[in-house]
Amino acid sequence: MSSSDSENESDVEMILEKAGLVTPGEMITDDTIWMRGHGTYAADNVTYSAVAGTIERVNKLLSVRPLRGRYIPVIGDHVVGRITEVGNRRWKVDIGASQDAVLMLGSVNLPGGILRRKSDDDELQMREFLKEGDLLNAEIQTLYADGAAALHTRSLRYGKLRNGLFVQVPASLVLRLRTQVYRLEGGIEMILGINGYIWIRKATSTNANAAPMDVSINRLEQESNSMEIYKDENDPIPPSTRQTISRYANCIQALVYNEVGINEARLRAVYEASVVYTDAGELLDNTVKTDIVKQAMATL
Amino acid sequence: MSSIEQAFVQSLLEDQKRVSGRRLNEARKLELAFGGSYGHVEVKMGRTRLVAQVSSQVAKPRDDRPFEGLFLITTDVSSMASPRFENGRQTVDELMVTRLIEKAIRRSNALDLESLCIVAGQSCWMVRADVHYLEYDGGFIDASCIAVIAALLHFRRPDTSIDGSRTIVHTLDERPPVPLSVLHVPICVSWSFFDNDIIVVDADEAEQDLRIGSMTITINKDRDICQFTKAGKIPLSSQQIIECCEQAHGRAREITDLIHEKLKQDFEKRNRGNMGFDLAENDR
Amino acid sequence: MSRFEIYSPEGLRADGRRWNELRHIKCGINTHSKSADGSAVVEMGASKVVCIVQGPQEPETRSRVREKATLSVSVTVAPFSTTERSKHVTNDRRLQEMSANLQNLFEEAVLTHLHPRTEIVCSLTVIAQDGGLLSCCINAMTLALIDAGLPMYEYVSACSVALFDQTPLLDPNNVEETELASVTVGIVGETDKISLLILERRLGLDRLPPALELGVEGCKVLRQVMDKEVRRHGAMRLASRAE
Repeated sequence: MSSSDSENESDVEMILEKAGLVTPGEMITDDTIWMRGHGTYAADNVTYSAVAGTIERVNKLLSVRPLRGRYIPVIGDHVVGRITEVGNRRWKVDIGASQDAVLMLGSVNLPGGILRRKSDDDELQMREFLKEGDLLNAEIQTLYADGAAALHTRSLRYGKLRNGLFVQVPASLVLRLRTQVYRLEGGIEMILGINGYIWIRKATSTNANAAPMDVSINRLEQESNSMEIYKDENDPIPPSTRQTISRYANCIQALVYNEVGINEARLRAVYEASVVYTDAGELLDNTVKTDIVKQAMATL
Repeated sequence: MSSIEQAFVQSLLEDQKRVSGRRLNEARKLELAFGGSYGHVEVKMGRTRLVAQVSSQVAKPRDDRPFEGLFLITTDVSSMASPRFENGRQTVDELMVTRLIEKAIRRSNALDLESLCIVAGQSCWMVRADVHYLEYDGGFIDASCIAVIAALLHFRRPDTSIDGSRTIVHTLDERPPVPLSVLHVPICVSWSFFDNDIIVVDADEAEQDLRIGSMTITINKDRDICQFTKAGKIPLSSQQIIECCEQAHGRAREITDLIHEKLKQDFEKRNRGNMGFDLAENDR
Repeated sequence: MSRFEIYSPEGLRADGRRWNELRHIKCGINTHSKSADGSAVVEMGASKVVCIVQGPQEPETRSRVREKATLSVSVTVAPFSTTERSKHVTNDRRLQEMSANLQNLFEEAVLTHLHPRTEIVCSLTVIAQDGGLLSCCINAMTLALIDAGLPMYEYVSACSVALFDQTPLLDPNNVEETELASVTVGIVGETDKISLLILERRLGLDRLPPALELGVEGCKVLRQVMDKEVRRHGAMRLASRAE
């Protein structure tokens, strides 16, 4: 907080205090020194809230963060998405934002080396790599002027997803952390997309090693050489692993039901609390959901 | 419409001027002409031109309303009027025109349906008003409403009598035809809203393309509002709304008088042509 | 029904209300959290409407309007919503007109320019009808849009007023609505300016002002009720998040 702000300090307190919660049309401030951010609008130099949410302040920027809403893409976010359309040298990907994101043919790793030029053949075979309905994880590369996002999968961490289960939760419940990929108990790996799309899969030796940040270029090239990364078939998954996957999925739903933000520690705790119920299906009961989340939160 | 035209129309409006040279609250001049047959009316408002034809036939009344005749209004917005309309496909705007005329005339009971009954539960008159649009320059709602009501006033249906269980429909030679019982004359007046809180009466095509919203008031000479439709865009205070209603009432009076005068002229002309007919009803 | 039953000389209506009383209002926000971005249920007396909002999302058909979001509204009436079960009508012109009116009204309130090239799909389902259908739909849609986190200038609230001779009756039920002429009034925010005004039956011009005045007051009360629900729900969410 800079010193120039101090004179307004009491003002700030007042604004933030009055506003545990603001609703559309509510006046936030009539002081013109503030900059107006998301979720606000101005009329006659008075700033009003446009959504129901909480006031947030960064230096002189006031914005209102809605209680709920679609995911708003930010550069660098690790997201999970689903292909909706295969187009001219690009895929359209549903990432739960207000517009579909774009994944350019040039922004993916193709078989045969990372730095290869994309040929016409590649363009013709786009459906061989990713087709409508396929799931992938990716990073947001850039944002267009209208708010739409462009993705890239130029790392072994990213790419087509298989061997697992998809869970969708409100984006507002996913907590932003340093990493979004976790190894969980029971040989499970989870990709917690910041957009609220979650992939829970069986951990394999390859994606175990492909833990964030230590992917060597050599490995990358080796891997990308084959069509392996765009394979459509699942590896054999034993029933016990399937059970564990659905248990995790139900644990996530339990957190969502109780409006608790999702992170690794909480999920682990809920999983532990859920073990008393032998069948993963039992977790679907609403009282059980509340129960295990309460227990889990107590341990943290 | 190109954006430069849009900017032109908008900037004129902001100077309280219009492309047509009218004032913001000035409606276009209305021209009304009756055709050779009963119930045929042609209405012109600026370049907008349409024809309404009323016809009748004997039909069976609805089971749930045995004492009432039937009344139908059809509007035919075809690509003849303007290339913007597609034949056989109704856009939301066209739907709103149809609904509004229906509410303004049919649901406000402008036509006394009970007078159309011949034998309760057995037979009644079915009156149809068909509106055909010939040329489009905005203001379809206002013009069609005037055309339909004028056509209903002009129309004469054949007289009937009952002979035992038989209903006899007399030809025009046997008995003088009977006018319809029109209970009141509803008139529609439409306003268009533009950016910067500009409100304009009776918009033409260019203005209608640019407008952000509209409001239609249907009112008769007796100060009865028959229908009021305003959905969003520019919020108005109740004083402004009442003011608009008063303006609409003024225009309704003017138009009603014009319709009656034209009707009088038309029937005088007809009476001169065939003196044998006794048309005592033309003083309505 | 005799006229005295509608409004007795003592100033009581058939259901025991006075002229300026609203029916019991019950509203819920975020009622269908799994199936939609925003959802709400509004009950005004025995009328009940559910609104589901999806979006802003990729438009189904590439729309011509690119600089702002398109609002598409559809209204469905459940066949069991009236006392006599009705056949399912899909292409009712009355409902299409209502959808168009809702769309026009909400384009005034939603900051659509913030979501270019997207579509906001609002589906309203009428569960029970007992008068005030349009106002019930408007209120439900406001809450559902707020729940979806869409930026709006203000709450949109609406209620209807029937006229018994010179006496305006607030929020008429079905019986009153069939017997008397009524107007539906809608406002954006806490103002005296009227955004929506729909009248479908004959009414003397001189009887309109008191009806408008009462309608606006009713809308303001409804706005408060809805705001309370949004705050209640918001506080609940924030509390569970703080844990």
